[in-house]
Amino acid sequence: MTTLPRTLAWLLVGLMAYPALAKEKLTVLTAFHEDVVSRYETAFEQQNPDIDVQILWRMPHDALPYLSQPQQGGVDVYWSAAQQNFNVLKQHGAWQKLGIDRNGLADRLGAMPLVDPEGTFCVSEMAGYGFAVNPDYLQKHGLPLPKTWLDLADARYQGHLALPIPSKVGFAPMMVDSVLQQYGWEQGWAVLAGIVANARLVDSGATFITDIIGSGERGIGPAIDFFTASAIANGAPLQFVYPEPVAYSPAHIAITAASQHTEAARRFVNFVLSETGQKMLFHPDIRKLPARPGVYKDKPAGYFDPFSASAQHPVVYDPNGAIPRLALNNVLFDRLFSDHPQRQQNLWNGLRKQEQRADAAKAARLVKLRQLLTAAPIAAAKAQEPALQKLFARRADEAQAEAEAKSLEQAWAKDIDRRYAEAEKLLLELER
Amino acid sequence: MSARLSHLLLGLSCCLAGLPLAQAETGFEVADASREAYSRIHPGLPQAKSEEVFRGRGLFRQSWVIPPAKDIEIAGLGPLYNQISCLSCHPKNGRGQPPETPQQAMRSMLIRLSLPGEDEHGGPLPHPVYGGQLNEQGVPGVPGEGRVSVDYREQTIKLADGETVKLRKPIYSFVDLHYGPLPADILYSPRVGPSVFGLGLLEAVDEQTIRQMAEDGKRQGLHGHPNIVWDAERQRNVIGRFGLKANVATLKQQIAGAFIGDMGITSSLNAQENCSAAQTACQQAPSARQPELSDSQLDAVLLYLRLLQVPARRDTGDPQVRQGEKLFAEIGCAACHTPALTTGEFPELPMLSKQTIHPYTDLLVHDMGQDLADGRPDFQAGGGEWRTPPLWGIGLVERINEHSYFLHDGRARNLAEAVLWHGGEALPSKQRFADLSSGKRQALIRFLESL
Repeated sequence: MTTLPRTLAWLLVGLMAYPALAKEKLTVLTAFHEDVVSRYETAFEQQNPDIDVQILWRMPHDALPYLSQPQQGGVDVYWSAAQQNFNVLKQHGAWQKLGIDRNGLADRLGAMPLVDPEGTFCVSEMAGYGFAVNPDYLQKHGLPLPKTWLDLADARYQGHLALPIPSKVGFAPMMVDSVLQQYGWEQGWAVLAGIVANARLVDSGATFITDIIGSGERGIGPAIDFFTASAIANGAPLQFVYPEPVAYSPAHIAITAASQHTEAARRFVNFVLSETGQKMLFHPDIRKLPARPGVYKDKPAGYFDPFSASAQHPVVYDPNGAIPRLALNNVLFDRLFSDHPQRQQNLWNGLRKQEQRADAAKAARLVKLRQLLTAAPIAAAKAQEPALQKLFARRADEAQAEAEAKSLEQAWAKDIDRRYAEAEKLLLELER
Repeated sequence: MSARLSHLLLGLSCCLAGLPLAQAETGFEVADASREAYSRIHPGLPQAKSEEVFRGRGLFRQSWVIPPAKDIEIAGLGPLYNQISCLSCHPKNGRGQPPETPQQAMRSMLIRLSLPGEDEHGGPLPHPVYGGQLNEQGVPGVPGEGRVSVDYREQTIKLADGETVKLRKPIYSFVDLHYGPLPADILYSPRVGPSVFGLGLLEAVDEQTIRQMAEDGKRQGLHGHPNIVWDAERQRNVIGRFGLKANVATLKQQIAGAFIGDMGITSSLNAQENCSAAQTACQQAPSARQPELSDSQLDAVLLYLRLLQVPARRDTGDPQVRQGEKLFAEIGCAACHTPALTTGEFPELPMLSKQTIHPYTDLLVHDMGQDLADGRPDFQAGGGEWRTPPLWGIGLVERINEHSYFLHDGRARNLAEAVLWHGGEALPSKQRFADLSSGKRQALIRFLESL
């Protein structure tokens, strides 16, 4: 540093010229992508230069124990698409009342509540489930746009779908559950069976679904909307189809009971829910659905409006009711489908060929074969047992629950194997 | 699975072919002018590598978690750090930006620190407490090291045709320093996160080519030279080519350096957490597994970055662009911003070998004058020297990163200001630019926008 004295002088002037500007630190725990978080962080700090936002990132399953620590890990605001965490932590008194002005914010979207009845957390934005579609692919293969989940189970889509495995892909459990809720337990599994028969099962996330559909490897990928919507906004030649009705995954925001920065936290929550904050969701790199209906008047062209859509096809899916059974659903999906996708698809291929031949002499056996391939893995009444649902939800944390769950899984796997074996035998008879 | 992925990548490349505005793609140059243009993965990678490259992409986009955590694969942030994700400083694989007001935090920018002198290998001498970089953030219970506030002082310059341009000079002040004051002779260097595409190609340029460019420059009266830096893996000095002063030997070391320096994530190349002896809370904070970034994860990120394609030029037939390209050469810009290079043999990833590329850099460090100097030497790069930054893709910064801040500290608010900040060896070229007519200056800018 013997040279450049003028530069040094500049730098030193800078070093000494400014007094310290003390900022209040606000800690926000989230699992949102950096593209989302960094924009809110920057925009909020521009409006609130006295606050320094620190972001901590954790997936929902890792956020729950973190927020259960003494002083809730120093977190002031929890902001995540993790309904279960908000519910569980509320029971433990983890939240304080939001205490915000909800003027202009909706309290419900059809069957889905957008605010906790006690006002301790509320929906900050939503994401919709639907179908990522490659229009060129559909045109090339002469396929129509699907409109419903049932459409996806149609034989004409065989080999054209990519379906995320719910136990492997974070957004997928609720998506699969929404099919079960919309169509009912028995018919729901039948619809899923038909969809799986048409699909490549995918064990990576939503960006991968978008990659697969964008590449033209498959034409349709059931997914959560924002990855595809963002890709479209940034130039990808894709389309996202919302089925009728749409199911949504809500994200919530809450202020921790242990927060030492309640006022700053409230300012952050208010910012996220404000017109400015909600309109930021329209950005091409975010593309989520605001919870403030009024901002849709300024939405970009073609942007989906869940409030308008719900007026046509009311939302029937309530994620609150779904949460207890998601872990069980995942296991059933894996034992029924993920364990033997090729076997399942071979059987469906055979079934469809036989059904096309419309041989009256085979009608009864075809009904039986279809029933074997579409039956729910366990009875609806059994699946509704709270004890069973809890067993699977707890297995990761409790050895006893894990042992019992594993035993049940093995039994179900055997039943399913027997069922497929019977179907294979029946198909062989039909093909003779 | 891997065959499918390879097909997928090929398909992704094909679906881009119809995009307008860009010239046909060749090799690593991809005809894409969309906001995803910095994020295209070369479709021709070996099948065995397909899954790894997507894993690398995921890790680059990952927000990291403070330990202890259940998600051990992505745990290890801190104890001291600047940002939680690679994407924070390299949004959409592109450029970061500086704060616009003294109150704003550095969100995609950082400050390197050192004391006068050299370390055992000739590199910067870290501050004994703050280390080589000011980490503004700390995990809960560990105070961040402090903040840097940036303000700007404007000056007006007059060009030959009478047009005036306002240039803003940044003024930095350290505030809220938690581990004691910095000494008066502290050296510091502000750095905006640069774009990260095309780095594999720059790595594949062989040393002989770089030395030859230095020789060619000498014949033109230039003094650009390679920065000779310490290669910690090979345990010898080599030509540096990464970092804004070409101060890092390899892309792998650049990545590992960013993981530890920017995010506090250890790897086999940087096994120690970034806590100094005086930072007791930092030392006592829990770590995740060791190393926190496994070798396979580091290799995956390395592969991903090596395979990122480069946006091809656009509007090359536009007469104004052609005029600008000619002027770019005539006024001497191309002497350092070398338009075309050919990569050498690159056995680690042969597809990078023998590629004709258009990075607009000579990978040499040049004196850029006192106004741009940071006064902080880094190996053989002096306090006024900077590596010629690659210009490829620069015309898409505004579209992709939604700003037009350029130079190492983001002081330039557009490309013209960036040119007008050039000094030192580039002073004659800057002066010729300033002496051009307004129309010709605009043509040169249009050329830059076509890159």
